[in-house]
Amino acid sequence: MPDFLLAGHFTHIDLLMAVEVALLGFIGGTLSGFIGSGGAFFMTPGMMNLGVPGAVAVASNISHKFGKAMIGSKKHGEMGHVDKKLAVIVLITAALGINLAVWVMKSLFTRGREGGGGEASTALSDLYISLVFVGVLSLVSLSMLADIIKSRKQEEARPSRRIVDFLNRFRLHPMIHFPVADVSVSLWVLLVCGLATGYLAGTIGVGGFIGVPAMIYVFGVSAQVAAGTELFLAMFMGAYGLLNYAFQGMVDVRLVVLLYLGSLVGIHLGAYGTKVVRELIIRLVTSCIILLCVLSRLIAIPVYLRRLGVVRLRPSADGYFNSASKVLLYASGLVGAAIILFFVFRAYLERRRVHASLAAGAEPAA
Amino acid sequence: MQIICVSRGTYEGGKELAEALAKRLGIPCLAREEATDAATRAGIHVGKLEMAVVRRHPLSEYLAVEREKFQAFITATLCERAREEGLVYHGRTGHLVLPGVSPVFRIRVIADTEARIAQTMDRLGLSREKARLFNEQVDEDIRRWVRVLYNVDGESPDLYDVVVNLSHVSVENAASALVAMAQLPEFQVTPASRRALEDLHLAARCRLAIGGDRRTRGMQVRVRADRGRVSVTWLPRDRKAAPAVPSILEEIEGVREVVCTMATTNLLWIEEDVDPDSETLPQILEIAEKWNAAVEILRLEDGEGEAEAAPAGASGEPGIPDTEAEGGILDDGVEVERLPEDAGVRETMGRLVSAGRAGGYRAVRGGAREILQSLDRTSSYSLVVVGRVFSSKGVSTAKRLSRELAGSLADALRVPVIGSDELRSQYLFGPGHWLKLALHGALAALLLFLVFTYQAPILEFLARGGTRHRILAAAALFLFVPLFAHLYGSFARYLFRLMKIE
Repeated sequence: MPDFLLAGHFTHIDLLMAVEVALLGFIGGTLSGFIGSGGAFFMTPGMMNLGVPGAVAVASNISHKFGKAMIGSKKHGEMGHVDKKLAVIVLITAALGINLAVWVMKSLFTRGREGGGGEASTALSDLYISLVFVGVLSLVSLSMLADIIKSRKQEEARPSRRIVDFLNRFRLHPMIHFPVADVSVSLWVLLVCGLATGYLAGTIGVGGFIGVPAMIYVFGVSAQVAAGTELFLAMFMGAYGLLNYAFQGMVDVRLVVLLYLGSLVGIHLGAYGTKVVRELIIRLVTSCIILLCVLSRLIAIPVYLRRLGVVRLRPSADGYFNSASKVLLYASGLVGAAIILFFVFRAYLERRRVHASLAAGAEPAA
Repeated sequence: MQIICVSRGTYEGGKELAEALAKRLGIPCLAREEATDAATRAGIHVGKLEMAVVRRHPLSEYLAVEREKFQAFITATLCERAREEGLVYHGRTGHLVLPGVSPVFRIRVIADTEARIAQTMDRLGLSREKARLFNEQVDEDIRRWVRVLYNVDGESPDLYDVVVNLSHVSVENAASALVAMAQLPEFQVTPASRRALEDLHLAARCRLAIGGDRRTRGMQVRVRADRGRVSVTWLPRDRKAAPAVPSILEEIEGVREVVCTMATTNLLWIEEDVDPDSETLPQILEIAEKWNAAVEILRLEDGEGEAEAAPAGASGEPGIPDTEAEGGILDDGVEVERLPEDAGVRETMGRLVSAGRAGGYRAVRGGAREILQSLDRTSSYSLVVVGRVFSSKGVSTAKRLSRELAGSLADALRVPVIGSDELRSQYLFGPGHWLKLALHGALAALLLFLVFTYQAPILEFLARGGTRHRILAAAALFLFVPLFAHLYGSFARYLFRLMKIE
């Protein structure tokens, strides 16, 4: 294996690891199809658990997102669910956000290598990614859980209104009208949301977690147009992210193709699941999976802190932390995917049962 | 019997005009506010629905059900009032409540911006700027309300027969002119439109009954009625409650038959002569099976309407339905007698029912405009299949008109609209797809093989320093990644299509 692999830039991939990455892709794809986000919240930490440096994991994931979004946005475009005007305006600041994220990542990566190399070389960027990951996704999952608990009392599953109500008070001019999405939004709100989306996409690869809710709850776009526009946006952000990270030499093409092997299969099953499962259950499963992913990443943080010399731990403890993090991540992904697949196959069997009863004339009216 | 719907905004004078019209015609007048209050008293959470729209929140499952119930309540109320002695209704969306009932006289009332601002300032005691902002906000809320409830642009002039600016003409003079217009044959209720009204009424009553029963109140359903035959489409997630639906509906007066279909989406099949032995039916059934969709048949009556559409528009009478432009009443009478005798439709519907894929049936005369007027735009269609239509026009004209019809439907519904001859190539797994599956799979496998066989030089190429080299590496990845995604993605798509999991 060449020197740069051994230096920790890229990881050696054996058959077992290849299968594990493809499995990460499959679970990520299933969750992605079910939840409607990119699945990076599972795949990025999953690759990090397998020993892939955080920056390479993020770079490979954002490259993987590029191709996947291209396929998805084409389909949404045919359905008229893409507001290109909205996507282009958000993209302007999203590109700035990605640049900022890549610059921060590259600085941390370089600083880590200059600071002595070895295991500390990637620890700084890994810690940074993990902290952003934990911070953002904790907020998302906890607020989703709180909404579910609240909405159960009100007999409805509905997202929180507080942010929307707060932002709706400001009608900052200039307001721009988007004919496909059929909304008028302040340019300033668009730019801020675009920056946040791009930054998160570039840092942890989960821009959709900001982009889609922002479009639905802040801009007032319908869920279908939000998903289509976000995919269209993700295609450009993915392309931009790929070019940026590829220029820095951080994209591992092997990881990209392995992720595709699983994700492009899983996404079909996940998308089917949304048609047969109640909104409340979708939201509950989603928030629990994200929360477990956050916990998994949280468990891995002491390892990076030790490598940076911030906390005193035995190096042999790394294995325990990594194993626990890996087990929790896989458990969350596998359980989540299993629940989704359970609903998919149950609905499939139910459909067969109903049709069989129809054919037998047992239920003439149903 | 006369049905007039006045669409109005804030301080545009629509209420006054509607009342003047009702008075002159000697028929009752119903305001949106009265209907909304009645809906609230009936237990429908109209206030929550309005708040969600005003606050720009997406509708939750619960509010989507409330929306269906509210729409059904308004439809039932209008039908009940209208069928007795006629009705003038004024509100935001009255013109959309009775889709497919062409003699409804749909009037849009507007007023100059300055006049409205002056009215707002006068009535609410606001400053000029605040009054302007108030009007803008209310207009925006109404626009959203129309979009959420009926998924159309309420400002589109296509939706109205006449637009009256009450800043340019007095209420009394406008009422006089409109009363004269209301006497035109185009706005008289015909046997066919009476039947359409009865179908809408029955469907609305059925929807309300489902929403009112403890066992099924949370179900999101789509109800259609055709001469006592009621089709209910329900979602898989409501499988526990669904068995109670037939027993609830069988108790409703006018219901002769209930067909329940579990489906997550709808396919609209437009055909002139619905032939159960054609190639199209099994293909559509196969797709519906894969997608878990209900198939709605729309029989497009002989293409006379389309031919008449141009002269009608050119003569300055936009909005007058082609059916009635032909002379209406007598033809409608023929239509009423003829439709039940269509054995092709009956047998096709029978097959769809047997397959558990029946999504209802309707007949429309005319073209894209008439089809769109008759459709419930809030229904989720995944595909529209245009079969053989306009056959009386000759081969070339029929092709052109079919293409135009498909284009109009695709623009309005934002779903794929294809010809029935394209079904196999686009959505089913045919012999050609085996080749595509193999080709895409082989190419994806080859790329995968090459990446892992030559991983060391590839990674070295990707990580090597130098600006020119980095640009080259980025460009190579930029081309490779989407290529692999396309090849493998197509392979996966064809594989799932082969396995009938889509």
